[in-house]
Amino acid sequence: MNENLFASFTTPMMMGVPIVVLIIIFPSILFPSPNRLINNRLATVQQWLIQLVSKYMLSIHNYKGQTWALMLMSLILFIGSTNLLGLLPHSFTPTTQLSMNLGMAIPLWAGTVVMGFRHKTKASLAHFLPQGTPLPLIPMLVIIETISLFIQPVALAVRLTANITAGHLLIHLIGGATLVLMNINPVTALITFIILILLTILELAVALIQAYVFTLLVSLYLHDNT
Amino acid sequence: MLATGLTLYLLSKEIYVINHETISGAVVLSLAVYGIKKYGPAVAAFADRLMEEELARFESLKGAYIAGCEKGIEDEKKQQWRVEGRHYLFDAKRNNIAMILEANYRERLLTASREVKKKLDYQVALQQLKRSMERDHMINWVEQSVWQSVTAQQEKESIAKCILDLKALSKTAQASL
Repeated sequence: MNENLFASFTTPMMMGVPIVVLIIIFPSILFPSPNRLINNRLATVQQWLIQLVSKYMLSIHNYKGQTWALMLMSLILFIGSTNLLGLLPHSFTPTTQLSMNLGMAIPLWAGTVVMGFRHKTKASLAHFLPQGTPLPLIPMLVIIETISLFIQPVALAVRLTANITAGHLLIHLIGGATLVLMNINPVTALITFIILILLTILELAVALIQAYVFTLLVSLYLHDNT
Repeated sequence: MLATGLTLYLLSKEIYVINHETISGAVVLSLAVYGIKKYGPAVAAFADRLMEEELARFESLKGAYIAGCEKGIEDEKKQQWRVEGRHYLFDAKRNNIAMILEANYRERLLTASREVKKKLDYQVALQQLKRSMERDHMINWVEQSVWQSVTAQQEKESIAKCILDLKALSKTAQASL
């Protein structure tokens, strides 16, 4: 039971060939690139959606911040699509692997920090001390702020991993429970109902993408545009 | 037919194992079907509306260009018609100028003739003056010479003659009465 539960989180191999790369690349097939002036329905809706999201997400930034538009939009699309595809049965979600999330979080966060230090050195250094702190507390506060800065990428990665993994585990557990309890009838309907609600809530995994990109975006904003 | 047979075969031989993922897959599938059945036509209509708006935008642009070109053609035709009627304008202008020139010419002619007449009058008046002065002078000279030529004797004799004539005349007059 234990081995079966966590078996879906291992890196998928087929006869010793790691096909996880294919799985990561797969969602890009589902987003057609608009070829013509007037496209089919899917491409039109996709175009409209991306325009909507990018408009809301990039309205905060100034010119320098808006050069990150492509990066942020592809990030939100990738994470959203992989999370949604992971809800299907027998599928593998790449974002459940901490390695991958760290690989996304650390470079992006480091990029914003370095950019902030390069362009606005004084302001970036000034972030380490909030305004209006009494004099004896300053050394302690600088240490705390440094720690909180360095924990940002780890928090980003672990947040995403933990949320998705926990959701998947819950689905598997409750599905297994329903399977076992089907021989004992009256409780089954209730548990299926719970599964339904849980799944609907888990579809707010897309909201998690929002949280991910939003956090990244806030960090970028604070570093760059203050 | 094939789907039913294949499913039953896979299930009975446990080639497809029913585990927790089957249940979660069934729930996801039912949710997806419910969502598509309920919101599918609305989303499709929305996408169609987006496409229609885009197309209408481009069509209106194209129509505006075509209308602009047609208007240009109309204006060009009108210009050509105006060019054909241009000679009326030129004739009117030409007549106008000819009239002005004529009037100018006549005016100057009049002035010239008046000047010439003035000069000729002057010459005439000069000649007349000269003649009258000559005449007066001649008359004066004749009178003076006559006065000078009439001596005292002749004057007495003429006066006596005149008296005699007068007497004779008076006699005859008395006779006639």
